[in-house]
Amino acid sequence: MSEEQNPAVRIDHGSGGWGPGLVVRAHGERNIVLSVTGGDEHPVAKKIAELTGGRVVNAFNAGAPDNQVLCAVINCGGTARSGVYPKKRIPTVNVFNASPGGPLQKYITDDIYVSGVGVDNVQPADPAEAAIGDDSAESAASAPAAPAPAASAATAAAQQPSRQTKEATGFSKFIIKFGGAIGYVITSLLNAGREGVKMILNTVIPFMAYVALIMGIVNYTGLANWIAKSVSPLAGNLWGLLLLGIITALPVLSPFLGPGAAIAQIIGVLMGGQIAAGALPVRYALPTLFAIDGQVGCDFVPVGLGLGEAQSETVDVGVPAVLFARQLTSPLAVVIAYFFSFLV
Amino acid sequence: MTPLLAALPGGWQTLMVPLDVKSNPVMQGITWFATHFIGLFKAGAESFVDLSTGVIPLLLVLITFMNALTTWIGEKRVTRAVQWAGKYAVTRYTIMPMLAAIMLTNPMCYTFGRFLPERYKPAYYDATVSFLHPVTSIFPHANGAELFVWTGVSAGVMKVDGGAYARLAVLYFLVGLIVILMRGLVTQWITTFLIKRGGHTETFKKYDADYAAGRLESAEGAVA
Repeated sequence: MSEEQNPAVRIDHGSGGWGPGLVVRAHGERNIVLSVTGGDEHPVAKKIAELTGGRVVNAFNAGAPDNQVLCAVINCGGTARSGVYPKKRIPTVNVFNASPGGPLQKYITDDIYVSGVGVDNVQPADPAEAAIGDDSAESAASAPAAPAPAASAATAAAQQPSRQTKEATGFSKFIIKFGGAIGYVITSLLNAGREGVKMILNTVIPFMAYVALIMGIVNYTGLANWIAKSVSPLAGNLWGLLLLGIITALPVLSPFLGPGAAIAQIIGVLMGGQIAAGALPVRYALPTLFAIDGQVGCDFVPVGLGLGEAQSETVDVGVPAVLFARQLTSPLAVVIAYFFSFLV
Repeated sequence: MTPLLAALPGGWQTLMVPLDVKSNPVMQGITWFATHFIGLFKAGAESFVDLSTGVIPLLLVLITFMNALTTWIGEKRVTRAVQWAGKYAVTRYTIMPMLAAIMLTNPMCYTFGRFLPERYKPAYYDATVSFLHPVTSIFPHANGAELFVWTGVSAGVMKVDGGAYARLAVLYFLVGLIVILMRGLVTQWITTFLIKRGGHTETFKKYDADYAAGRLESAEGAVA
């Protein structure tokens, strides 16, 4: 197969971008990198074309038949244009950071779409890697044979503007640059909002519902008063807080108090209720925060070290090191916070 | 009303209980249960409304801004800053965990440990994980799932004194930095102690050599 000679290109998502990345390769007639970014041909499109041996067509100057488009390079905030090319199953490279959204969201899948791509994210692929459309290479190669006249006409039309006669100059160049910058700012804000809503919806609200349920039960049954009565003497003075800090950090206890910070969060909410009710002075909030948090992360040491690519010996040494150190540093943190609490 | 004895056909006698809510102990029990069962959840719903109107709007706007900011700054720049911060003990347990938490958020922040020699990794982990709650007082996006350690306590403070809330937020963050520095240094010290006592000295010497070699390699790579 002659197609195999075309080099494949790996396109990864950039900083803040989305998707596991794409591998594309030119197949016969399917060799156009469509630049749909406005202004000049986008550098990312140029780099993809250069590495695949394809050619760039600026969509604002000329059209290109869909069956010849290798991939489309776009700059879009994720509401309309991001979905148009994925809907046609054309691999889409977004230079902005949009993650899937908008009315065409269901077409924007990670096998066909990558975002936040910069020039540095476009690299030659491992030759062994399968590229999009490899399996249909024969059909792609044979298909253009039939509509040859139409295709060649389109190719001619597409090639003509590639002479770059329409190079923007002066004022229009400024407008395009300015527009691009505004677009970038708005897109990243919009995307940040979308990520924020996802986080609130997926992690904050479910926890809030659970906390609210427990709070309801605890308050309604009068359990809150009972807990407050037993905890207040502990939380209301330095010695009690120190004791709390020592208890939460006990090596036999801390790994069980840790998971999801669930227990610390409940105690935090209860303490907050006591402060609001005036049962605890405001300035005790600071040492309390450290006293109820002595166990933080003690359940997660091996995993956290693993994420830092630690060797197994480091994990062997690190787990007891963190647990023992915590026994010392947890009450010490309470003392430090206690002295700073005079500033609250 | 009192229960009545009624004669049933066939000579049986049975106790007829009138369905009067006020005097019937069974119905009283049912009423009591129903009221308090719903009351329990009504109290829960009230807490939920309190939390949602108080916490969510501010949080959402703040998270949006922080997400955008982290995109603009870019991971590459932060990685460079983190590699620099990893060299010195004072920055390794303050600036490095702070940048990791704000930029990479929980749990990806631990991955910055890979820039450090093996012997410092436990202390870096300890410092980073200990900062994941103080960081939420100013950057809630960093640890969205565990906000209530801070939010729970601070909501009470907010009700009493709004000015104290702001001071508490800044102090929690700053005292957090001091605490993780102290924690990092203590854990580093104990790690060194355990390496010696456990007879791992040679192993970790080899790791240090590998790290130095890897560092030279990557430095050359950066030049090329």
